[in-house]
Amino acid sequence: MWADALLKELPSVPVPAGLEARILADFDRQAMRPRWADRLREALWPGAPLWRPAGAVALALAVGVLVGSYVPLEDEQPAQTIALDEAPSFDLGESS
Amino acid sequence: MIDPDTDLVARAGRGDRAAAQALMARHLPKMMTLARRMLGSQAEAEDAVQEAFLKLWTHAARWQPGKAKFETWLYRVTMNKCYDRLRRRPAAPLDEAAEVVDPAPPADSVLENSALAGEIEAALAALPERQRAAILLCHHQERGNIEAAEILGISVEALESLLARGRRALRARLGHLRE
Repeated sequence: MWADALLKELPSVPVPAGLEARILADFDRQAMRPRWADRLREALWPGAPLWRPAGAVALALAVGVLVGSYVPLEDEQPAQTIALDEAPSFDLGESS
Repeated sequence: MIDPDTDLVARAGRGDRAAAQALMARHLPKMMTLARRMLGSQAEAEDAVQEAFLKLWTHAARWQPGKAKFETWLYRVTMNKCYDRLRRRPAAPLDEAAEVVDPAPPADSVLENSALAGEIEAALAALPERQRAAILLCHHQERGNIEAAEILGISVEALESLLARGRRALRARLGHLRE
């Protein structure tokens, strides 16, 4: 086919030795990374990139802080006043 | 069908440097050629290929054989790295000029091999990126339509359409070389 023959005229692209060294250096760095972080990520969210579980934790944290800061607690009502001029009555079970 | 890379990927995922080197020896030259022709820049092609291998190293331990052919996945990653770089470039009028027919250069300029290669590279560079990718995968890297479509993440019909338009544009620019 004409297009095949045409593109065969293109010279091959050399792979510089420096590139191979850089790629292998990346491999070495990756191989030296602690595996526990990867295992934890796999347990939390199998197959996902790191940013997903990290993002989920950050989002949950942000929502928690917002809710904690702005939603009033239910028992934040005026404290019950006790009238001091009335004697408190206690039922100490004297009838028994 | 047995994927010839499966064992190497699994070993690389366990930190086997020799397996990593074997994977590089198998795929690096073709990936480099593809990226260089896609991007038109040696430095950018090197960076794109390095990023693709970095992604391979981070995913090797989790590679699940049988889901996809490894080579198809790797070339898809490489192609996506090229697309990322092309989109980060400031808009150039090259895509709009892709269908414009240039007047044929003087006959003596195509006698030199380097001039011929330069002309072909210029014609390829003038193609829209998806047409260029389709042409390179099918006509330069000699991949089948099904595999090329998987690499590009499109249907075979869409690939064939890209190929037809790409060939037409190349013929318009380089038709004088057919004689």
